[in-house]
Amino acid sequence: MPRVLSTGQAINEALAIALASDPDVILLGEDVAGGGARDADGVDEMGGVFGTTKGLVKRFPGRVLDTPISEMGILGTAVGAAATGLRPVAELMFIDFLGVCLDPLLNQAAKLRYMFGGKARVPLTVRTVSGAGMRSAAQHSQSLYWMTTGIPGLKTVIPSNPADAKGLLLAAIRDDDPVIFCEAKGVLMLRGEVPEGDYTVPIGQAKVVRAGGDVTLVAFGATVAVALAAAEQLARQGTEAEVLDLRSLQPLDEAAILASLEKTGRLVVVDESTPRCGIASDVAALCVDRGFDFLNAPVKRVTAPHTPVPFAAILEDAFRPSAEKVIAAVREMG
Amino acid sequence: MPTPIAMPKLGMSMQEGRLVAWPLPLGAAVARGQIVVVIESEKAEVEIEATASGFLRHLYVALDATVPCGTLLGAIAATQDEPFDAESFRIAHDRPEAPRASATAAPHVAAAPAGATPRGAPKPIAPAARARARELGIDPARVPGSGPGGRVTREDVDAWVARYQHCIEVAPGVALEVPATGRGDSVVLLPGFGTDVAAFARQLPALESSFRVLGVNPRGVAGSDAPPADAYDVARMAEDAACAFDGRAHVIGASLGAAVALELALAHPGRVRSLVLVTPFVAASPRLIAVLDAWCRLAAEAGPEALASALVPWFFGAATLANERMRARNVRGLTEIFARVPAATLVRQAAGLLAWSGTRCADLGGISVPALVVAGADDLLTPDAAAVARAIPGAEFLLVPGAGHAVALENYEAVNEAILAHLSRSNADSPDRGRGASSVAGRSPISNDR
Amino acid sequence: MQFTRDRLLDAYRKMRMIRCFEEKLQELVLAGKMAGFLHLYAGEEAVAVGVCAHLDARDWVASTHRGHGHCIAKGVDVAGMMAELFGRKTGLCKGKGGSMHIADMDRGMLGANGIVGAGIPLATGAALTAQIKKTGGVGVAFFGDGASNQGQFHESLNMAQNWKLPALYVVENNGWGEFTPTEFVVPVADIAERARSYAMASAIADGMDFFDVYEKAGQAIERARRGEGPTLLECKTYRFHGHYVGDTLAYRPKQQAEEWKQRRDPLDHFERRVVEVGLLDGDDLRHLDGEVAAELDAAVRAAEAAPFPDPGDVTTDVYVTE
Repeated sequence: MPRVLSTGQAINEALAIALASDPDVILLGEDVAGGGARDADGVDEMGGVFGTTKGLVKRFPGRVLDTPISEMGILGTAVGAAATGLRPVAELMFIDFLGVCLDPLLNQAAKLRYMFGGKARVPLTVRTVSGAGMRSAAQHSQSLYWMTTGIPGLKTVIPSNPADAKGLLLAAIRDDDPVIFCEAKGVLMLRGEVPEGDYTVPIGQAKVVRAGGDVTLVAFGATVAVALAAAEQLARQGTEAEVLDLRSLQPLDEAAILASLEKTGRLVVVDESTPRCGIASDVAALCVDRGFDFLNAPVKRVTAPHTPVPFAAILEDAFRPSAEKVIAAVREMG
Repeated sequence: MPTPIAMPKLGMSMQEGRLVAWPLPLGAAVARGQIVVVIESEKAEVEIEATASGFLRHLYVALDATVPCGTLLGAIAATQDEPFDAESFRIAHDRPEAPRASATAAPHVAAAPAGATPRGAPKPIAPAARARARELGIDPARVPGSGPGGRVTREDVDAWVARYQHCIEVAPGVALEVPATGRGDSVVLLPGFGTDVAAFARQLPALESSFRVLGVNPRGVAGSDAPPADAYDVARMAEDAACAFDGRAHVIGASLGAAVALELALAHPGRVRSLVLVTPFVAASPRLIAVLDAWCRLAAEAGPEALASALVPWFFGAATLANERMRARNVRGLTEIFARVPAATLVRQAAGLLAWSGTRCADLGGISVPALVVAGADDLLTPDAAAVARAIPGAEFLLVPGAGHAVALENYEAVNEAILAHLSRSNADSPDRGRGASSVAGRSPISNDR
Repeated sequence: MQFTRDRLLDAYRKMRMIRCFEEKLQELVLAGKMAGFLHLYAGEEAVAVGVCAHLDARDWVASTHRGHGHCIAKGVDVAGMMAELFGRKTGLCKGKGGSMHIADMDRGMLGANGIVGAGIPLATGAALTAQIKKTGGVGVAFFGDGASNQGQFHESLNMAQNWKLPALYVVENNGWGEFTPTEFVVPVADIAERARSYAMASAIADGMDFFDVYEKAGQAIERARRGEGPTLLECKTYRFHGHYVGDTLAYRPKQQAEEWKQRRDPLDHFERRVVEVGLLDGDDLRHLDGEVAAELDAAVRAAEAAPFPDPGDVTTDVYVTE
């Protein structure tokens, strides 16, 4: 029975399933209950700035915790709780705030297991909103998943649609390693069919969402829709594009990328983050290193420019990757 | 067991220290924790405590000496007079650190020396194309590229290989490049003086849908071997061609290639299904000889583009030459072809051609296969094509008005139509002429006054 | 306070082990036999042992770069620690952690930590786990006066008090933050005062007196276990050596160090008290000294003879599932 939910609703469902199925799961973060758990009249919970966690504090009292605005404290406490027996899902409201709490993730969560010779586990999930598109300007619109992807010991995943969001979040929560779960703004408001019940999407597995033989478009999060739009237009011009949704940035499904490159000989990476030291460059390097003989054309990267995210709508739209930019890249590569 | 006093390592970066003072005299009593030696490192003096109590029995390093960390400085023995062998103690405890390699960077690798000859940009070749070419054992630089900037793609390699990869040994150590395309009965293409099978570019699309087309690049041309010789004999070229295909084939030859075709038909009539002779000659005209001479000279001294510009007027008719766009396009096309025929080959072909010229005039009557002669009305190089048609029994003749020596390029629609018609008529599987009355001798040419 | 003989012997043995362990490391490093940044706890023994004497298997401890003392006080294996410091495969962390990251999850030791202040939220998290899972356990953070200036100190205390977590925050005020005197960078006379900003209970103990630490820590831990919330316990103490081994101590007045070493040594103090009160005698303690020396010696020899890790171990233990 196909139900259509928004990504936010799908995430809410995943959290409810996780809380119901495992007593060690707790949620903590700023406004995750958002006013709930109080008994005053005329007061309702907000369930987070995007309403994603609404309804959960009432169903799972004592396990959905509003915290002070203390990112170091929140993440550090979550790491300590994870290392000592809980399975916390901490919310970092916007990934832009990573700067305020990098140490608990970089030097603690990512490294405890390694430094302690394999004797610690940190089954922590960090939910965080990333990306541009809501005119939220420079400090609330970044896509910093490349930073967490580059830290050994962390995993980073990013769904592109509601169904994957639910399954990937359940997989992340049940994974015994620290996982950063990115909710791209461009994806949060999408609606789509979401299966009922408890299911997971495997971490580390990309998905071919459109098959084609002429060029590979590697995309993830909000850029999957961009790539699909480009593919449609390209098809009308006689070029059949294959769209590969990475879903997982670390671990990265290198085999899927190389298999698609072998098939088409041409590859474009579409990444809404800035260009230096990012996922697009990482994938391009993989292609040149391990897929060299498959390359019939240079690898193209369609990314945001090397700038902060601007505020004005026309500027923010120019900042973000678009189907036009993808098509231009395909034409340019020959 | 005496206790060593060694130069301590105070911090990872410390490599050596200087001995500043021995506060206690040799033989003095020492309490654990008492300052026993003062050293200097990084401009700071540091007092070092004794790690055991006893008596200062030996000093190994003098004041002011600078020694590496781990060097044995002194020894504390438990008692004043127990036996103490300073040398063996030193051997057991002296552990100076080896100096670390200098931290300075390796000298910067010098850039290419100034004045190095600048090279032209190499042909861009996609990695996938290189890999495919490697797989197939060909040189990707020979493949024309269709990508941006002339980049050779994997598809280009595949396409080229489909057309041109075939190499056949026609004599010991001599292989000819015989690009093949299409399916069906065999058609062999023999190009003219100083050209390769690309001269038949306009014929391929018409032919390859119904025939297997084998272009024979003769010795010395394009990818074919170029054995040294004073002359490339026309008869030898005909033997080469005979080795380049199996069984029977329709043979299309242009200019010198037509001469080769005639030789082939005379030497191996059973192998030739039909003949198409484009701008043939049996005796080279004085003008042709002069042009060939100029051609050889120019090729030796100028590049293919200059050569193409000079020869275009000899190859094309007035109408083509009057159209600047068409003229330029043909110059470009000829440039590419001429680039693949080295000057030495021209000299050898010319020698062979001149030696053959005039030797077969009387033998044309012996040709027993169906023949079509195609000529351009404006061709100044081989103006006697009609005579060749008349001499061959049952030959058909097509004279294309306004066309030059490169009639097969210039007026390809008419030429292709005639060739196809000729080939289909000749497809009756009969080794002899068998035309009889049905052949139209001296078929009326297409003329202006129709 | 009531003490059994055994508890006192255990306390002394641990303190003596910490002292000897640290001094042995000093020797080994200066002899070039041990590498890395080592931060010695000698002088502060009474704090770690006084607090940890109240802890059991339910409880977690998070420590600092100066963490060997807390490990030993929490019952972590000395031989395993020594092997780890020698970077051997038999080390507690298989040679992958080193001095600043020694841990033993089986003994509730969440690790020494190379990031100043990072243990504070970790211990807070352990307290959260105890509260949610109702284990009755506590989370104890040891940290220095310098760490009390870190943002995560303030954030953690604030959160812990809001939720009344079963936590104990032990600030070991040894008067020096690296090379800088505490009074240059902390404007309050007693760091314990900072608890007031968070409406948190606090106490101050003489960090050189095992019994004072023991009493005050005991009260705080009982409160925590009863669900009455966290405490900030400031222990005034002194580190006998430099910030790290190899520190020339040029910044610290020699007089000051001598004073503390001669007149305030926690081991001397403990001995005087227990002998004075007749609970133990000198022979008992000398016997323990001998045991400790032998155990330490054996640990060093075993560590020096132990195998190095395989180079292939570089890539193991990064993830639970790759």
